[in-house]
Amino acid sequence: MSTMNCTDFLNHIDEWIEGQEVPGARDHSRTCANCRGLAEDLGTIRLAAVTLPEADPDPSPHIWAALRTHLQEEGLIRSGVALQLPHRTGWFDSIFSLIPRPAFATAYIGALVITGFVLSGPVHMRNGQDRWRERTQRTSAELNSQLEIAEQTAMASLVSFSPDVTADLRKNLSIVDNDIALCEKSVQETPESEIARDYLYSAYQQKADLLAQISERGEGR
Amino acid sequence: MSTTRVSSHFSKSRAVILVPGLLALTAAPVWARHIEKHFKVDAHPIVTIHNPNGIITIKAWTKQEVMVMSDQSSDAIEVEADQANNRVDITTHAISDTASPDDMRADYQVNVPEDADLQIHDDSGAVNVANVLGDMNVETIAAGVGMADTAGYTTVSTVNGSFQCLRCGGRIEVRSISGNIRLEDVRSSDVLAQTSTGNIVFNGQYLPNGSYRLKDYSGVIEVRFSPADSFDLSATSLKGKVNNEAKLEPSRHGFLPRIGNSLVGALNAGRARVEVTSFNGTINILKRN
Repeated sequence: MSTMNCTDFLNHIDEWIEGQEVPGARDHSRTCANCRGLAEDLGTIRLAAVTLPEADPDPSPHIWAALRTHLQEEGLIRSGVALQLPHRTGWFDSIFSLIPRPAFATAYIGALVITGFVLSGPVHMRNGQDRWRERTQRTSAELNSQLEIAEQTAMASLVSFSPDVTADLRKNLSIVDNDIALCEKSVQETPESEIARDYLYSAYQQKADLLAQISERGEGR
Repeated sequence: MSTTRVSSHFSKSRAVILVPGLLALTAAPVWARHIEKHFKVDAHPIVTIHNPNGIITIKAWTKQEVMVMSDQSSDAIEVEADQANNRVDITTHAISDTASPDDMRADYQVNVPEDADLQIHDDSGAVNVANVLGDMNVETIAAGVGMADTAGYTTVSTVNGSFQCLRCGGRIEVRSISGNIRLEDVRSSDVLAQTSTGNIVFNGQYLPNGSYRLKDYSGVIEVRFSPADSFDLSATSLKGKVNNEAKLEPSRHGFLPRIGNSLVGALNAGRARVEVTSFNGTINILKRN
C-alpha cells in the first residue's frame, strides 16, 4: 500500500529521477501509472540532456558530403568550404557556422529558446528556487550571448532601411530588450513561476524573430 | 499570358498642376509612372508582393485574372510583375544606386480571384485586403494591416504596424511588438493575437470548440462578450489588473494556479476556450454595448 499521494510524488520527482532515495516513491510509482509514466518520461529527457554532448559525434564523411552538397545546391553554404569539421564543436554547430545567412543563426537561437524552455520544465517538477534561478540564469546567459552576436549582424543591415523604418526598428528592439529585462527580474524574484519564465522565453523569441527580420530584409536589398 | 499598359507622368501629376491649391492642402505623391498588368490564372493562384514602402490594396473580384496597377514615385525604382505558372510575383526594386528611401515608394492596387493565396511584404505604408478567401501571409515593419471579409489561414507579423480585422474567418495568427490589434466581428475558430506594448481588442464570435488566445506584455487587452456567449475563460495578468463583467461559473476543465491576478471560469456551457494573458498590462472582460 503506497503511503505517498500524487502531489507528494510530484514534489519529490526531481530527486527520484536523479536516483535519490525517496521514502514511499517506489511504492507509489508501482501503483500509479500516471506518475510512473511521467517519471519515466522525465528520466528519458534528463538522460538525453545529460548525454547530449557525448551523443554528438561527427557524422561519417559520407553523410557530411551529402549534406554539404545539398546545402550548396540550396545556396545555403558557400562552395569550396573545407570538408573537415572544426575540432571541439559538434557537427550541428559546424553546419550553422558555415551558413552565411543570419536568419539561420537566429533560427538557431530560436531553437535554443525552445530547448531552454523545455529543459526548464513545469513548475511542479523541480524543487528549490535556487535551482530554478540557476537553470534560468544559465539559459539566459547562453541566449543573451547568441542574441548579442545576431544583433551585431542585424545592426549592420539597418543601413539599408529608410531612416523612419530604422528608427522604428531601433525603438522596437529597445521595447523587446526592456521586456526581457523586466521578465528576467520577475524570474529572479519568483523563479518557480511558470508564467514568468514563459514570458521571458517569449521575449527572447520575439527578439530573435526581430533580428532575423532585420537581417533577412536588409540582405534582400 | 499578360497584358501591360504603362503611362509615365500619370494624370495625378497633371491634376496636381491644374489645381495647385490642392498640392498645398494634400500630401498626394506625384507619380512618375503608372503601370497596369493583367495575368490570366487558374484556380488557387499565388500572388506575392515585395514592396519597401507604399500602400497595397488588394481586392477579390470574380474574374479568373490578376490585375496589377502600380504607381511609383520615382524613375529610380522599377516595378516588376511577372507570372510563373499559377503564381504572380510583384516586386519593387531600385534600379539606381542613388535611389533614396523616398524614391522607393510604390502604391499598388491588385485585384485577385477570391481563392488566391497572398504573400505580402511591405515595410512601411499600409496593406489592405478585402474579400480574399485564400491563405494569407503578411509581414510588415511599420505598415498597418487592414483586412475585411477574409476567410483563409491568415498570418500577420508587424513590428509597430497596427492590425485590424473586420468579419474575418479562418485561422488567424497575428504577432506584433508595439502595434495595436483589433479583431472586430471575427468568425474564426482559432485566433492567436500577441503584441508587446500594443493593445488588443477582441470583439468577435466565440464558435463552439474555438480557441482564442490573446497575449501581451504591457498593453491593454479588451475582450467583449454577450451574455449568451459560451466559453471557458482564463485571464491572467502577472503584475497588472484583470477587470471582469462576466458572470462566470467554476470551470469544468480543471483549475489554474492563481498567479498574479487571474480569473478562471466558464460563461454558460463553456464551449469555446478563451485564454488571455498579460505580463503587467490590464485585461478587461467587458459586456458588448
